[in-house]
Parts: sequence; C-alpha cells; structure tokens
Amino acid sequence: MSATEGFKRHGDHSYIATFSESEREVLLNLCEQIIELLAERVDHGHEDPLAAMVGITSHDTPPEDEVLHRLLPNAYADEVDASEFRRYTESTLRMKKQAHAVTMRIHLKSSPDGVIDLSHDEANAWLGAINDVRLALGVRLKVENNSHEELELLSPDDPLRGVYAVYTWLGWLQETLIDSLMDDVQEDEDSQLGNS
Amino acid sequence: MVKTADKIEEEIRAIFSGETPWVTIVWDDPVNLQSYVTYVFMELFGYSKVKATELMLQVHNEGKAIVSTGTREEMEHDVARLHEYGLWATLQRGDLI
Repeated sequence: MSATEGFKRHGDHSYIATFSESEREVLLNLCEQIIELLAERVDHGHEDPLAAMVGITSHDTPPEDEVLHRLLPNAYADEVDASEFRRYTESTLRMKKQAHAVTMRIHLKSSPDGVIDLSHDEANAWLGAINDVRLALGVRLKVENNSHEELELLSPDDPLRGVYAVYTWLGWLQETLIDSLMDDVQEDEDSQLGNS
Repeated sequence: MVKTADKIEEEIRAIFSGETPWVTIVWDDPVNLQSYVTYVFMELFGYSKVKATELMLQVHNEGKAIVSTGTREEMEHDVARLHEYGLWATLQRGDLI
C-alpha cells in the first residue's frame, strides 16, 4: 500500500513525510471517524450546565461500545472509584483525544501536496491520534484473540483483510515517526554524556 | 544527619496519617507498539531510554509494570496522561499490590 517513505527527521526537531493523494485520503478519513466516534460520547442535554462547564459529566459507567471503552478506559479496578473518576475526567480525556485527531486533520487538509512537516508537539499529537486509530482497528480485528499469523492468512474477500492492511501500515508509519523522534533523544543523551 | 531525621519523621507521619503511597500500573496491550510504549514513558515521565525500555519490557513480559509512585492525586494525573496517549493504565494503593 505504501507510496510514502514515512517520517524522516529534518534539521532541528522537524519531522517530515510526503503522502500520496490516496494515502492522505485514508488518513483523513480515519481521523474523521475517530473525531465522530468520540463525539458520540458527548452527553447532550442530560447534564447540569454548570457541572458541564467545569468538565463534570453524568457519565459514570464505561461506554458500551467496545472501541469507545478502549479509548476511554477505567482508571481503577474498583468500580465505585472508577465511576467517580470517570465523572470528573472523561470529558477532558475525550477532548484531548479529539484535539490530537483534529491536529492531524488540519495538517492533512492544509497540505494538498501531501507534505506534512511536524514540530515535536505536533508529532506527539499525531502519534496519539494514529495510536487511537490503531486501538480502534485493533478492537475490530480482535487482536486480543487473533494472532498476526492468523490475520495474515485472511482471505482476499474478507473485509477485515483491508482493515488489517491499514492497521499494519499505520503501525509502520507510527514507527517511522517514533524512530525520528528517538534520534533527537539519542543526540540529547549523547551530548549530556559528552558534557559530564 | 538532620536530613535523615527529617526523612524518618516524615515517613512516620505518613504511616500514621494514612498517607500510603499509590502506584500507577501499565498493563500489556497487544496493539501498542513496543517502541511507542517506550517513547511515551520517556515523554511523560522524563525517563531515560534505558529505564523506559526496561519498564516496557516488564509490561510486555510480565503483563504489567509499576511506572510511577506518589500520592493518589499524582497517580490520577499520571493515569489520565497515559490514557490520553492510549496506554492501558490504572492506579491503586501501593500496599495492596
């Protein structure tokens, strides 16, 4: 599937990738799906407006949708503690995840030539957004139960085969971005050693 | 010497005031890439690549690892940040592990 060579580091803290038109569309489509999915969790009309203003929602149980549950997991094994924590924090977590996906969408929309140039913070937002997409696809592919060997052997007619191809491609793309970011860390650690 | 005495007094006070330390645990997940988990530990906690890699391997091989320790509020903050980046994390009292 890959036309792009993935992300490469250019100079100081700049990470660049060039995507083909079809790759750009796939990525745009995926981050829009995540934004929409997270928006389903907005609690319309059931909340105290003042509580909503400070980020408190009436959600105190985990989402029934398996994908949303993985994106917005429990913070405690204990159910009472988990719901209390969820009431005060879930909307903030949801908004942060939406912000990551929106950052990615803005970059993709504003680069018709397919060239994406990210700063360190933008790269982190992309990593988070790509990871959320992979988590969502992973639930659909049931990677908990299906080994990679099994998924490799899906029949060409199986709609999950395409999902698996996107899933592995996103993993590769994420890895190229992490490698570029790690280059910087390595240089920082080397220079610290040099100074001591 | 003064420092040691202060430290002991602080610990005794913590024991009697019920301020037991809390821990953040990261659980193994088949989706998250090993390099991604390592990178998130470095970014969020400022751990060295060596320490972050050790913790990632512990999560991978043993199914979980304690990645930070502190007050309940601090651990809630850490768990929220790990969830923001899609890691599967929970917090609990350190003496109940």
